[in-house]
Amino acid sequence: MWSRRNFLKSSSLVACSPVVPAFLARTARAAPAGKDTILVMVQLTGGNDGLNTVIPHKHPRYAQYRPTLRVPSSQVKKVDDQFGLHPSLDGFAKLLEKQALGIVHGVGYPNPSQSHFRSMDIWNAGSTAESLSEGWLGKALRQIDGPAFHLAGNNESAPLALEGAPVRAPSVRSLDDFQLKLGTTTGAESRMQKSIIEGSAANTSGDGLLDFVRKTAGNTYDATRRLKEVAANYQPKVPYPQTGLANRLRLAAQLIDAGLGARIFYVSIDGFDTHSGQGGANGPHANLLAEVGNAIAAFYGDLAARGHGERVLIATFSEFGRRAQENGSRGTDHGSGAPMFLVGGRVRPGLIGEHPDLEKLEQGNLRHTCDFRSVYAAICEKWLGVPSEPLLGAKYPAANVFRA
Amino acid sequence: MNIDPRWAWAAYAPSAAAPWNLQRVGHLYRRAAFGANWAELQAGLSSGPEKTVDALLAGGPDAEPFPPAITKANNGFQLSSWWLKRLLESKHPLREKLTLFWHNHFATSNAKVNNTGAMIGMYDLLYRQSLGNFGDMAQEITLDPAMLVWLDTVTSTRGQPNENYARELMELFTLGIGHYTEADIREAARAFTGYEIKDGRGRLNPAKHDATPKTVFGQSGNWSADDIVKACLKQPACPYFIVGKLYRYLVSEADTPSRELLAPLAEAFAGDFDIGKLVARILRSNLFFSDTVYRARVKSPVEFAVGIVHALEGRVPASALALALESLGQRLGYPPNVKGWDGGQVWLNAQTLLYRQNLALALTSTDDDRFKSRTDPAQLARSLGKVEGDQPVELFVDLFLQGDLRTGTKSQLIQFLQEARRQKRPAFWSDERVEAQPLRGLCHLVLAQPEFQLA
Repeated sequence: MWSRRNFLKSSSLVACSPVVPAFLARTARAAPAGKDTILVMVQLTGGNDGLNTVIPHKHPRYAQYRPTLRVPSSQVKKVDDQFGLHPSLDGFAKLLEKQALGIVHGVGYPNPSQSHFRSMDIWNAGSTAESLSEGWLGKALRQIDGPAFHLAGNNESAPLALEGAPVRAPSVRSLDDFQLKLGTTTGAESRMQKSIIEGSAANTSGDGLLDFVRKTAGNTYDATRRLKEVAANYQPKVPYPQTGLANRLRLAAQLIDAGLGARIFYVSIDGFDTHSGQGGANGPHANLLAEVGNAIAAFYGDLAARGHGERVLIATFSEFGRRAQENGSRGTDHGSGAPMFLVGGRVRPGLIGEHPDLEKLEQGNLRHTCDFRSVYAAICEKWLGVPSEPLLGAKYPAANVFRA
Repeated sequence: MNIDPRWAWAAYAPSAAAPWNLQRVGHLYRRAAFGANWAELQAGLSSGPEKTVDALLAGGPDAEPFPPAITKANNGFQLSSWWLKRLLESKHPLREKLTLFWHNHFATSNAKVNNTGAMIGMYDLLYRQSLGNFGDMAQEITLDPAMLVWLDTVTSTRGQPNENYARELMELFTLGIGHYTEADIREAARAFTGYEIKDGRGRLNPAKHDATPKTVFGQSGNWSADDIVKACLKQPACPYFIVGKLYRYLVSEADTPSRELLAPLAEAFAGDFDIGKLVARILRSNLFFSDTVYRARVKSPVEFAVGIVHALEGRVPASALALALESLGQRLGYPPNVKGWDGGQVWLNAQTLLYRQNLALALTSTDDDRFKSRTDPAQLARSLGKVEGDQPVELFVDLFLQGDLRTGTKSQLIQFLQEARRQKRPAFWSDERVEAQPLRGLCHLVLAQPEFQLA
């Protein structure tokens, strides 16, 4: 339980609400963590430039740090008086209008690593320990029933985040991976195969091990049948863009809607390592943001229209942000402290926490104002309903990111 | 469950109530090996329980050592594949089976060790001691290079002890939670300081070792690592902990055995830590062959897949099968954490069960690119002369399930075979394929039965 002593012990950790002190945020009534809530983690690989994502466009330092890359005030999607979203984040701007987008400022961790791999491992493990072999979601899965899915792009291996799960989470590339296969048979032969296999799973009521297998099999066959129907007639309630990320999220939507009982999904999109020619309002970085914003907006819109809006939380993160001052190649080098986006019907909408102080850089980098493990703690405890301390190795104050 | 321990561990002798039959041969081979093939079932049936257990304990010659190229390449996937290849080709399946048990007990993952040579070194140690002496194994594992890295002993030095190894030694390797104090761990951790890897071996560097007195389990002295391991082995909880875990692996995971039930085994084990003797006593016992523990385990992915390939008497590329096993949740050399795979019901969920069924199809259909006709049920039926009439149904039901089927399923399988034989096949199919197809489909249906998921 939270106590004043704990608060004092952990007061060196920054909680993510500028208004409500951590211990009050913690006692504020949180939405009860459901048993069927779903988390979709979206990894932005390469280090997303936070400063050109959630833009302090009126701050004089911003223009100074970004002589060629800056996005002018006239073009940003306004969030409040000081901050605006990058113009290509149209999808996110619409989610904000629907009160389904939370933006956590300045997320990072102390003594940030500037190595892609080390820093991604730290985010995925939820720990800065020297050697990391288990993921925070893998550990969470030990307390959550049901499968988890990594929706993989080509040649993409399973993330560290899911390591340590009692059963390895599969990397799924298409729905084809999720059908009961019967070979090349047709007609009566095929019908008999199905009826024998499905019949072997039916009519069971005991609680022995064999009953357990029959029940598991029965649920599986039901799910694949539903999935097949869903796949055949899956008409997204909202059109998805034709992009890799959107395809993977569409697959996640089908798996969610088929009711397989999976609560954790993991997708990633690569390309954020924009050392040169990053672009401002237009260009490679803008295109990546558009892919992220539009894919997630379509995904959430689709799920919400199917009645899953209150069940789903989509969270984006990147291994680090980028240097405040742009480099000589019209790009940005590795930095730290960047925003996380949270999307869902129970997310606290709008800006959350404090933007890093643009006057007080740390070796040219934005200083994080919120430890990512505070966000993870909130996700664990208030969303997934699992205690965060065993996953994160220490007690982090849960960031105030959900509606009361 | 009330079982008389004396009856439980006394040697089983066939009786009218518990006859020696196909089920019991199959059961023995599922637990003490990776399932039986047809010849093994028949031989077991005719030679009786005692000789069959003898043969499993004696085993055949050991497999070839790991090729040094794997160490050099340091590719973790090759490690998993070669391990699986050994299981597929083993002439001493009981030892491989127990090696897997110890891999799950001293669970060490190459995810952190990141050195296939060191992982193979640990495998060799576990294999060598798999039916050997637990005390020696615990001592050796403490200084094993992979373990020294895995549980951070190499970074533990005088003045800055790392508690990782001391904790897991007590919690997971010898005693179980509740049989030591936090003070024991803190003190013992100091004894594990100063160990390093030199020329691929663990050794003590006295300059970094804390040689001052420590108090562990109430005894004070200048304990070394060796002393601490010995002290753990002397704790009364130790034999019960190991015997209990082995019970779950070999006998039943459906219930937690009482202390009274384990007592006869634990008391004997405490005297000599002889694993082979303990395993032999379990495998020969009344309880082992009783209905209570029959099909009371969920097959691990390795047991599931290796069992199919072995029974079909095929040879498949180990790398393809290793990849398939990853999606079933088991990657050899990569247990999820220091507790190992949880096992039991955790192996099966909507996704893994589906992948199991689809893997069974891939291994029986002969048209999967990975396995092709390397495992072919029709070829097996032909070589055993069981292709006529209902013979193939009898064959596959006996081979894979030893007759354990729900009432009515067998007649459905017979109907299926008849229907499949009546099917009109594409004109370009060879006669061989037209005849073989129904048998392959039949075999897949047998493997898809829920009973086949249980060991």
